[in-house]
Amino acid sequence: MTANSGAPLIEMRHIDKAFGPVRALAGVDFHLGAGEILGLVGDNSAGKSTLMKVLTGAYRRDGGEILVAGEPVDFASPRDSRERGIEMIYQDFALCGNMDVGQNIFLGRWPRRLGLFVDRNRMYGDAARVLDRLKVDVNSVHAKVESLSGGRQQSVAIARALSFEPKVVIFDEPTANLSVMATAKLLETMAELKRQGVSQVIISHRLTDIFEVGDRVMVLKRGVNAGERLIKATTEKDVLELIVAGAA
Amino acid sequence: MTVAAESGMRRSTVAGRPPAELWGGWEAGLLLLMGGLYLAGAFVNPAFFGTSDALAAVLRDAARYGVMAVGMTFVIVNRELDLSVGSTLGFVSTLFSVAYAPSHADAGIAVALSVCVAAGIVVGLVNGVLVTFLRVPAFIATLSTLFIGRGLVLGLSGGNTIAFGEKAASDPWFFQLGETNALGFNNQILIFLLVALIGAVALGKTRMGYETAAVGGNEQAARYAGIGTARARIRSYVLSALAATLAGLMNVAQDKGITSQNGQGAELIVIAAVIVGGASIAGGRGRVLGSCLGAVLTVLIDKVLREGVPITRTIDVGGVPMEIGAVAQLPPGAVPAFLGLLLVGAVLIEPWATSGGLARLRARLTRTPVPVVAPRGDAAIEAARTRSHTALDHRGIPKGPISAFLARRDAAAILLTLALWLTGLALRPDFWAGLDNSFAMLTAFTEIAILSVGLTFVIAAGDIDLSVGSVLALSAAVAAFCLKELELAPVIAIPLALLAGLACGLLNATLTTRFRLPSFVATLSTFYIARGLAAWIVAGRQLSGFPSSFTLIGRSLAEVLTALGAPPGTGWWANFTGAVSVQTLFLFVLAGIASIVLSRTHWGQMVYATGGNERASRYAGIDTRRVRFLSLVFSSLCAACAGVIYVAYLRSFNPAAGQLRELDAIASVIVGGGSIFGGHGTILGSLAGAAAITLIRSLLSLQILLPGGGSYVLPQHWMNVYIGLILILAVIADIWLRQEEILSRFLSAWRRRSSERDIR
Repeated sequence: MTANSGAPLIEMRHIDKAFGPVRALAGVDFHLGAGEILGLVGDNSAGKSTLMKVLTGAYRRDGGEILVAGEPVDFASPRDSRERGIEMIYQDFALCGNMDVGQNIFLGRWPRRLGLFVDRNRMYGDAARVLDRLKVDVNSVHAKVESLSGGRQQSVAIARALSFEPKVVIFDEPTANLSVMATAKLLETMAELKRQGVSQVIISHRLTDIFEVGDRVMVLKRGVNAGERLIKATTEKDVLELIVAGAA
Repeated sequence: MTVAAESGMRRSTVAGRPPAELWGGWEAGLLLLMGGLYLAGAFVNPAFFGTSDALAAVLRDAARYGVMAVGMTFVIVNRELDLSVGSTLGFVSTLFSVAYAPSHADAGIAVALSVCVAAGIVVGLVNGVLVTFLRVPAFIATLSTLFIGRGLVLGLSGGNTIAFGEKAASDPWFFQLGETNALGFNNQILIFLLVALIGAVALGKTRMGYETAAVGGNEQAARYAGIGTARARIRSYVLSALAATLAGLMNVAQDKGITSQNGQGAELIVIAAVIVGGASIAGGRGRVLGSCLGAVLTVLIDKVLREGVPITRTIDVGGVPMEIGAVAQLPPGAVPAFLGLLLVGAVLIEPWATSGGLARLRARLTRTPVPVVAPRGDAAIEAARTRSHTALDHRGIPKGPISAFLARRDAAAILLTLALWLTGLALRPDFWAGLDNSFAMLTAFTEIAILSVGLTFVIAAGDIDLSVGSVLALSAAVAAFCLKELELAPVIAIPLALLAGLACGLLNATLTTRFRLPSFVATLSTFYIARGLAAWIVAGRQLSGFPSSFTLIGRSLAEVLTALGAPPGTGWWANFTGAVSVQTLFLFVLAGIASIVLSRTHWGQMVYATGGNERASRYAGIDTRRVRFLSLVFSSLCAACAGVIYVAYLRSFNPAAGQLRELDAIASVIVGGGSIFGGHGTILGSLAGAAAITLIRSLLSLQILLPGGGSYVLPQHWMNVYIGLILILAVIADIWLRQEEILSRFLSAWRRRSSERDIR
């Protein structure tokens, strides 16, 4: 079913996750190929974000297995998954508005000088290079993030994720806070990332966006797999029916 | 009644007997605890607690606190805090006395009462408007009104006692309210019961009460549901202020006069009462009956602590041993220290108990399966942080050195300092820039500045430290006690004093980061505990007469050089060493290091990141708890240094040391570009802010020479009012000018409009 041949880059098998009495995920299977763009859709509380947070290690799973490039892994925190090349861009971007673009791109790992001080020249230089690679128009790496528009804040968040040279980028509701222009720009960026060989997962309510750039769409309903479709071989109506009615 | 089940649901929802709204298990537990405590009191001190008078006395004293606790319950259930109640009580009773007393305005009772009620409503409205429309955090808004209220008490009464015993006889219907009635108990108890009943029904059974709980539980959800959240919050503040007004009137009815100390520290008892009564500091939960029982319990603890234990002491009178009765009493200060601990304890126990802690404990003890608890959101108990979501792409990077300077958040403080200093010079050219005034201002500046250096880290990391003034007092008390009473050498006494500060810092930091209390609650408790301990250590006395090797820390360089045998002579060197003292040098070394750490190092960046967005920083791998922990500890250590310097400079220790200093220090950081919401603040800015505050203080007490040859000085009793107003103005200006960019938004809207007009 994958868009490309060979073993999937990421595979999750029979994932279970419960919050107290609520079963958020029940035996969910998931896979993602190299360079693939996967749309992850479903109603609110279908378990989309939970599944991805289990993948990044933000949540611990109660049962099931995760394999990265065929190897079983057990991430305790987003830090661990980052080392294996998995990055998540949160819906609210998780940036510090009081700090500037450069400081945010290197949040928590500002380049050091003499072990104690921040090497500001290197930080801003590297930040500018990452932004160039992304081809986004953030005027200056010295601008405070809270002074940027939503779309540009997201560009900073993406630049931050890319600075880790990830293999997989997960977008959580990436278009929820964006204008039409910024959405178009984001979809271009996603296509550009795909050209560079980065796999992407898009958690979204907006099927239109997924149909524009995605290769495959996977539907969750109340914490279980409801089905999946290749974008080339399906319609928005078909996917909507899956979301509403579940597996046929 | 059964609600029709939806097709997909397996069970139908049954609306059985609705749950009790006025009382619950918590209240029953409180009653048991109270009974036990009373029995213990009766056992230890039968002379007092063994009589029915004692019960009446406890209830009478609890009545005023209970009335205030009823109002406070609304505020806390609303997820707010009102620190101003004790001050409002004092303000209202002073206002009544000034209006009513023959020695002052000599107005009728009706006029006096109306003035008081109007004043209470105004206080409530001011608090409410500050926290709702002006978006000032509740603790900082009501802390300012606390100090302004105390300043008004001092200003109105001139610090004197006012009494009107004789005139009171002409209005017996009012003053009867404070007296014992024919049934043998005080009428205030009746008022308390009445208010408790009305409050319990209003919060538990009416729409208004439901609104309050909804706003406290989730303000956004409440707003989406169409509840006027701002109105509900303002209403709670007005209710709280009116309750304090009633308590103030009960106070004058009983005492028929006032002292300027009326109601001081009452907010601690009232807040402790409400939290002990089962309300959650995180909002949304609390019952009036619980708060009332909490008030009685807190007052009972206060009484047990204050009454003391009768003991028999054997003394030797002229060779004959004689047994005399005495009372072993806790020294002054011990009671607030214990009440502070009670507040911390209650805040810590509440979330544990309400999330099924008791059931889990019972299960563990009886070795039955431990019930699973659904996880509660971590963030719920931590103070909400608002963040501006402004999209101002036009605001680019400033060009040129002047606009670059003006774009700095600390620019205003630096300019303000310069302007204030020039104002002073213009007003008193003969005196202002002279040696004496410069020395006095620099030393006053040093104390505030040392506190604000530590506080800058705390505020930049998104927390607050309300305890700095009290920690200053505690370490000063420890230093004074060690030097004077224990006769320890300074090299031992100073580290011990710093250790006391370190202990306070560890307490603040542990409560905030380990137990996840909002930092203002944790440091408010330390505020009372540290000040109580300071008074306890020195038993409320003033200590003086320390070795000169110690007091040199607080002298000018000229004196130190003279003591070392190298007097500075004359000329600019003499002037410089005469104006600069050891503590000022210490400050500049401390500030220099702190400034480099905060602005240039990895560690400083982590502080800003934590204060800017804690969750994002955590995702980025920053140990935000450690950052906040160490910032709070550093702040207390700075306060401890200021305490040692205080004793060395004044050559005496007074338990009132460092009072109001937390206000000065917080105002310095905010004026200097810090944000009460975290993520901002520089050491240079805080120093400029501290300089501005010092200059404002000296300007306010400056003797201004009038052209006619006379002179004028502002009434000094009103000083607290000015300082409180400055703090609240600084916070509002920060929120509205810096955070929300009101000015630049207004300017750009205006520019847009005028350019549109041009096009037309």
